[in-house]
Amino acid sequence: MSRWVRLAARNLRRHARRTLLTGSIVVVGFVAVTMTAGFVSQTFTSLGAATIRGTGGHLRLLDPKAAGKTDDEASAIFLDDWEGLSALLGKDPRVAQAMPKLSFFGLVVKGDKSGAYLGTGTIPALERGASLASDTVVSGSFFSNPDAEDVMLGSGLARAIGAKTGDLVTVMTTTPDGGLNAVDASVVAVLSYPIKEIDDRLLFLPYSSAARLLKAEGRANTVVVLLKDGVDLDAAARDVASELAAAGRPVVVKTWLETAAFYKQVKLLYVAIFFFMGLVLSTVVILATANTMTMSVFERTREIGTLLAIGMERGQIRTLFLLEGFLLGVVGSAVGAAASFVLRLILNASGIMLPPPPGGTRGTILHVDFIPLAYGLGFAIMSLTLLVAAWWPARRAARLNPVEALGHV
Amino acid sequence: MSILEARGLTKIYRLGEERVVGVSDASLTLQAGEFAVLAGPSGSGKTTLLNLLGLLDLPDSGVLVFEGKDVSALDERGRSRLRREKLGFVFQAHQLVPVLSAEENVALALWIRGLPEEACAARARAALAAVGLAGLEDRRPDALSGGQRQRVAVARALVGEPVLILADEPTASLDSETAKHLLDLFVELHRAHGVAFLFSSHDPRIVERAERRIRLLDGRVVADERASVGALA
Repeated sequence: MSRWVRLAARNLRRHARRTLLTGSIVVVGFVAVTMTAGFVSQTFTSLGAATIRGTGGHLRLLDPKAAGKTDDEASAIFLDDWEGLSALLGKDPRVAQAMPKLSFFGLVVKGDKSGAYLGTGTIPALERGASLASDTVVSGSFFSNPDAEDVMLGSGLARAIGAKTGDLVTVMTTTPDGGLNAVDASVVAVLSYPIKEIDDRLLFLPYSSAARLLKAEGRANTVVVLLKDGVDLDAAARDVASELAAAGRPVVVKTWLETAAFYKQVKLLYVAIFFFMGLVLSTVVILATANTMTMSVFERTREIGTLLAIGMERGQIRTLFLLEGFLLGVVGSAVGAAASFVLRLILNASGIMLPPPPGGTRGTILHVDFIPLAYGLGFAIMSLTLLVAAWWPARRAARLNPVEALGHV
Repeated sequence: MSILEARGLTKIYRLGEERVVGVSDASLTLQAGEFAVLAGPSGSGKTTLLNLLGLLDLPDSGVLVFEGKDVSALDERGRSRLRREKLGFVFQAHQLVPVLSAEENVALALWIRGLPEEACAARARAALAAVGLAGLEDRRPDALSGGQRQRVAVARALVGEPVLILADEPTASLDSETAKHLLDLFVELHRAHGVAFLFSSHDPRIVERAERRIRLLDGRVVADERASVGALA
């Protein structure tokens, strides 16, 4: 085989300029695929981090009765003794923190203006460290006193009721047993949440106020668990569920991925864009290479005629041209891999700041991930693409009539 | 012993509506070790008949027998195998692969048989030595003179130890001195290896030195003459 590889390599070198041009298309294609994959991977990581910060943790613990219920239905189902649950979770070394969340909705009133809200009752100190809400404060300061009658409002909601920091508002809701309840609270912060629909309804109360409002002291709709870095999400979810069940506290454990519809949609969109881009790139590479190979067959018609005359099989002629295409793909991919690796290092060292990912609040420094799979796939795709591109010219070469080919001028 | 027998070979080309007779009802028998020439003016059908006899082209009618076997109905692969194993070709232009060295160009005829690299190289070097090109094995065609290139082509035809070498106007693109040397080489190889040669040529030097002259006119064999003893001298 080596003799045919040698011959294919020399034929490529014979038309160095043309080979260089086609090869550079392969290199650019390879770099584009691997860099995009690295960038998309980083975007997924950022988006995932933003999604985790959006809910305040990696795992959501629910009462088994809340499994399969709608959000409205689940808001009336509580886990008892969240502190006991939190103490049990604290024994798992993978758990960074566990915080209770109360979900409620109703009207918030200031003077003669009112607005519908979707509220969350949470522990201020835990929420500040884990959730992206602390990044979105536009006026005032993130609440800190767990026992104060404080409230934080989304900027859309604050604008709707004409509230600003320092104002007193009344938060009204329906308790799980159907009664009407309200608390007066002082606006300590206005938050600008990146998703407008949420910003227009966003309200935070300290857990103690929310529990009093809902008459649900010691209870929580969910307990959100933040895991330490590098922990295997699925294994942790499985273990937490079994540990709590063994301790007599059965719960339903949902990972952030199971509930992150927005994350999944964005990921699907990015994958679709990536696939489409790959398709366009492959088409460009196929057309460029097919053109090069067709030119090569045309110019070497007499040579092909000679090879056929001295007894070379048509299959061997075809293989020779396919080998040239494949070799161009392999060498182009190898150069592309090196170029991609170097470009990645340069970009990662450049410190370019990127805007926040969809739904995120924090911009990130550009970092193109190294995805070995993308390099492997890029290598395979480019080599196969070149094989496909070489197929038709190779077939044409193999089907030449030796007498006509020998007489070709 | 006859190695090649053609009976009533006919080849007609169609150029649009027009039918052009390439070869018409040509019959001949070639014996082992013959040194023969297909002679005739341009357009007489020499190259067409040579292509038919070399299984490069298919006749419209007629029978071709090679070493006692009817090869007229051989499929593409069978014809390729026969060309590879039994025949050698020398063309008007040297038709060497430009990216291969002289040795590799000669070895190419053995590569396609799937022989081991070392054996191919050794036999190619020996064939190059036989045509007087020892020491030029590593040169590419563009670093050789016209005569040397044609000698490489002869070595390529010879290396597979064929029973018959078909040479189509081998001296046509050479100057007279180089052509004479090449012709001397053909004679020498013929004597040394006993391989049969069939030329297609209107070069009088080839026609004069051939043992047998098959003359064609308008696609027909019009004469088949045996030269007097000593024609090869």
